[in-house]
Amino acid sequence: MFSVLEKYRQAFLIGLQSNLVYRWNFAVRGFFSLFHLAVVFILWGAAFEGSADIGGFDLRQTLTYFVTLLVLQFFVSAFNEDYQISEEIRNGLINQFLLKPINYFAYRFSIFVAARLVSGALVFVPLLLALPVIGEFLTFPLDGWRFAVGIPAVVLSAMIQFCIAYIFGMLTFWFLEIQGFVILSMAIESVLGGQIFPLDLMSPDLFALSMLLPYPYQMYFPAAIFTGRFGFEESLWCLGIQACWVGLLFMIGRGLWARGLRRHTAVGG
Amino acid sequence: MLHYLRIWLASARYTVVRTMMFRGDFIVWALVELFWMTVNLLLISVIYRHTDSIAGWTKYEMMLLVGTSMLIQRFLMGFFWSSLFEMGRNVRSGYFDFFLAQPGNVMFMATTRKLDPDSLLNAVVAASVVVYSARQLGLDPSAGQIALYVGMLFCGLVIHYSILVLSISMVFWLTSAQGIEGTYFTLTEFSRLPREAFKSVVTQVLFVWLLPVVVISNAPARTLIDRFGHDWRWIAGPFVFAALWFALAVFVFHRGLRRYASASS
Repeated sequence: MFSVLEKYRQAFLIGLQSNLVYRWNFAVRGFFSLFHLAVVFILWGAAFEGSADIGGFDLRQTLTYFVTLLVLQFFVSAFNEDYQISEEIRNGLINQFLLKPINYFAYRFSIFVAARLVSGALVFVPLLLALPVIGEFLTFPLDGWRFAVGIPAVVLSAMIQFCIAYIFGMLTFWFLEIQGFVILSMAIESVLGGQIFPLDLMSPDLFALSMLLPYPYQMYFPAAIFTGRFGFEESLWCLGIQACWVGLLFMIGRGLWARGLRRHTAVGG
Repeated sequence: MLHYLRIWLASARYTVVRTMMFRGDFIVWALVELFWMTVNLLLISVIYRHTDSIAGWTKYEMMLLVGTSMLIQRFLMGFFWSSLFEMGRNVRSGYFDFFLAQPGNVMFMATTRKLDPDSLLNAVVAASVVVYSARQLGLDPSAGQIALYVGMLFCGLVIHYSILVLSISMVFWLTSAQGIEGTYFTLTEFSRLPREAFKSVVTQVLFVWLLPVVVISNAPARTLIDRFGHDWRWIAGPFVFAALWFALAVFVFHRGLRRYASASS
């Protein structure tokens, strides 16, 4: 069992090293995210001038939601994994994995975890610098259950993010370019993932409907747990739905890999 | 002038032919842009489900502002983005030589060669948002107001273009300006906010005066909305900023051009 895991541990360590090479890239990206955060603070600050309460939450709670979302984004989002997988398929680099006792999904997932640990840690640099300005707006409920449910939700969010990126990468077996699909999906994810506004601000019917899709479980759901937008029972129920989506997306990814390989032609020697 | 118009028309013709060759791409990208525009409008309508005003602006005034910002953005993308995006890469790879050998001003040739018809198509959608919002507000702008609005849109386009040329001209010194163009779009998010929302001195200095991204969209929108009156500073601002930024862009671009040494062959 441990010998099986050892090869993925090595992939994880290599992923860690190669992502540390791009540490400045992640740090700069984190720094520019502060501009987006500034837009959020200015817009919502102005919106709360007209109403002290929006959707049952005050300004501090709303801004805390967006800061949490920013941190989650760097910890769980798939940045360019879909393009990397796509490139490996297009250039025939997956051929080497077909001949070795290594699972391609597990290999890519190990690298994804390493990359997110690096980017997640580095986003705290600009956030700590901004803390004197944004600190007074942060307010987190400190119920113990939020951590007990929230941490598994973050792990499952990362898995959903990766599975979706993996599925898009697999499309390369059928399409030469996946950029259009990825960007269209990014736009849908940004709305239904709660990045543009907290989903609970939509009409109740639309909100209930959106919670049946995988997108809110990419980021909105864990952020809603940590920032007090969800209660205990609601969180447990949604954690179940999230786990189902992970299972379903994993199966779709596996199916696409198996079908895609039938179309794949490995050339060269 | 007529010479440049002829060159530009030839580029436009080439773009149309190319677009017709990759129709699928054109449709997908047009849909992507349309979707992002809808996302911006969705944000406004969700916020106004819970409040009546954002920094004193009503729902349709905000939509008019966002529509104006989108309109300038679409024109920027449609007329210049592809050429500017490639410019950084061309300087690094040495392909920039191609523009030096062309019969015209290098900055004009390098920044206007490619058009994005999908963005220009979506400019019609953005214009429809502006017209719809104006109707909802019961506005009846005079011909003078409309002419001023169009003039200010043009100034906004010039300012955006100049700041982008300036950013990408850094490639002459840094060799790689990859990522700078993308980062610029983060700053344009500020142009969808009303001027009154900027309370702190730091944000006012940074986004209203230093980088006039707020003025670019707010000035034309205020021209149409009567209740703001006609403050000469809001009218003159875009024209002054456009002249200053364009002059700076021309200066820096040509300074950078002197450093261009092509690539080894």
